[in-house]
Amino acid sequence: MNGPRSFIFNSTVRLVFFLVNVVAVYLLLRGHNAPGGGFIAGLATAISLIFLSLAVGVEGMHRLLRFDPVLLAAAGLVLAAGAGMLPMFVNQPFLEHFQFHLSNVPVLGEVHAGTPLLFDVGVFLVVVGVTCKMIFVFAKSAQGLRALVAEEERRYSSPVEQPIESDAPPASQEAAARPKEERHAN
Amino acid sequence: MNPTILPILLPLLTALLVLFWGKPGRPRRVLVAGSGIVQLALALWLVARSCTGESFVLTLGNWSAPFGIVLVIDPLAAIMLALSTFTALASILYGYAELSFRVEHPLRLPLTQFLLAGINLAFCTGDLFNLFVAFEIMLIASYALLTLEADDWDVKQAFPYLAVNLVGSTLFLCAAGLAYTLFGTLNFADIAMRASVMADDPRVLALGLLLLVVFGIKAGIFPLYYWLPNSYPTLPIPLAALYAGMLTKVGVYVLLRVFGTVLPHSLEPAHQLLAWLAGATMIFGVLGAISRNFIRGILAYHILSQIGFMVLAIGLFTPLSFAACIFYVIHHIIVKSSLFLIGGVGLCLNRTDNLDRMGNLWRHAPWLGVVFLCQALSLAGLPPLSGFWGKYAIVVVGLEKGAYVLVAASLVASILTLFSMLKIWNSAFWNSPDEREVCLWDLRWVKLCRVAAGMTVVSLGIGLGAEGVFRVAQEAAVRALDQEGYARVVFSRIGKGGATPP
Repeated sequence: MNGPRSFIFNSTVRLVFFLVNVVAVYLLLRGHNAPGGGFIAGLATAISLIFLSLAVGVEGMHRLLRFDPVLLAAAGLVLAAGAGMLPMFVNQPFLEHFQFHLSNVPVLGEVHAGTPLLFDVGVFLVVVGVTCKMIFVFAKSAQGLRALVAEEERRYSSPVEQPIESDAPPASQEAAARPKEERHAN
Repeated sequence: MNPTILPILLPLLTALLVLFWGKPGRPRRVLVAGSGIVQLALALWLVARSCTGESFVLTLGNWSAPFGIVLVIDPLAAIMLALSTFTALASILYGYAELSFRVEHPLRLPLTQFLLAGINLAFCTGDLFNLFVAFEIMLIASYALLTLEADDWDVKQAFPYLAVNLVGSTLFLCAAGLAYTLFGTLNFADIAMRASVMADDPRVLALGLLLLVVFGIKAGIFPLYYWLPNSYPTLPIPLAALYAGMLTKVGVYVLLRVFGTVLPHSLEPAHQLLAWLAGATMIFGVLGAISRNFIRGILAYHILSQIGFMVLAIGLFTPLSFAACIFYVIHHIIVKSSLFLIGGVGLCLNRTDNLDRMGNLWRHAPWLGVVFLCQALSLAGLPPLSGFWGKYAIVVVGLEKGAYVLVAASLVASILTLFSMLKIWNSAFWNSPDEREVCLWDLRWVKLCRVAAGMTVVSLGIGLGAEGVFRVAQEAAVRALDQEGYARVVFSRIGKGGATPP
């Protein structure tokens, strides 16, 4: 999206962003007993964020989100694992779930909810985080930008380029200079 | 608290902690190593408890067996857990000794723990679909590790690994669908009970053959092994040791589990096919090994030929041959990983593992030579080392069953194994032209050698205490073949949904 931005597209996206997210929350909440759930809701939210990135540009998304989407995935993983592990503290098996029913809640009326919702929210966050991160990195490299900013580079890539065997051996310098194909080919 | 979930949960939590709370550094390394030691202790405790007749069953979310997910740890699974945690610990320690944390890749430790979680889940799970999930966790972590520190050449070699395993996963999904239409369930115990009354149905045989292809790809048996020998040598040494030790053995474990515990025991054609493919795997694997000229390549091909021995033992299909297979797996995982580590020490000293440019190691590092000889001769199967006992038991069963051709093939493969080990010995250790420099100033090799020697001591212990280990293997084999006992244990846990044993 390097060219001039379309006003129509931008304003449509601003509307669609909220609509898609409402659908996502609906999918997330109905997922307990009906088709839906954290995964599909996460995809919907991720799509909304990707639309937004098309409107404001991938670099603009950085300023807008202000954090690495991978942190969302991290929070989701912790939440999902925690929701699975909580019952173990009350001597129940892993992933055991509990439900409660509240009536006369203001605004909502009757509420039926359970701990699986926590797990689903965890899945939701993981899907949003991972999908956004992947698409943003692809989009950036497709536009010729650096795929990882400096801080990310420290976190996700190796500080050394060379493996142990090319440590500039004094005896076999010409051997190290040979292409690796040759070393492995026979 | 039920300990059945812990072998999966501990690596998973370690991975999460390490992934998000740490830059590479000493505290992080200590945390992972500590977690590795706890996991190993837990797995050994599980082995001890389960061999006295106990089985650990956990119904996830309290949903009882045919409906919910069950995790089952019987002696076979416990042994595999102990092996996987031991190999992972050795690989992690070797990795610490090899590279300072300043140059460590920040994602390597967490991914190793994710890989371990997948492997352990594959060992613990009690239903087919969860097994698929375990394979996916394991494979995704392994794809990432394979290409993490790769250059262009390595990525090219990783591609067949990725492609073949994706095809394998797809076929696995098809097989799970077929199993569900046939039996209406994916739970191992439930399938075992339902399949035993329809053993004559050709569809069951078809399912067995499909599963054979799927797990044959994972284990690397004869026509399906192309992905393995070129991709493993591109890994860094400690990871190569972990991959070589564990990943294909997950396939072997699942073959044991599926043909021993899940499918009816009367699938004669599938067992025959397994045995013959195993014979071909041994011969082709060892020929490939002879054709290679660098240590990691030779060892990677040897994985295949050794897989042939284990699968042959499964194909012979008697309780004794199952015990032999389990013993062989125990022997092989430790020997193979430690050989990769020893190769790594040689690589560190000679700065290459190409046999044409190695040499002088015996003169400068004789202890490394002793360690190598122990493990190489064990791999070839010389008494009293551990490899001998496994091969001996397999050959005895083969002769009893009258499979003379296959026994002959296994003996030929053993001799050729010895030959290719001697090739490494001659060029890397014995050969001493003066211009080959041995970098003894690089003091890392002492620590690296210690890790490899530690594994060698364990492996010598297996060889010398073979009787005790074999007894454990026999117990595991009997329990793995006892379908009704397995089903009884699984269905004895009653939770939500109520127990409805068929």
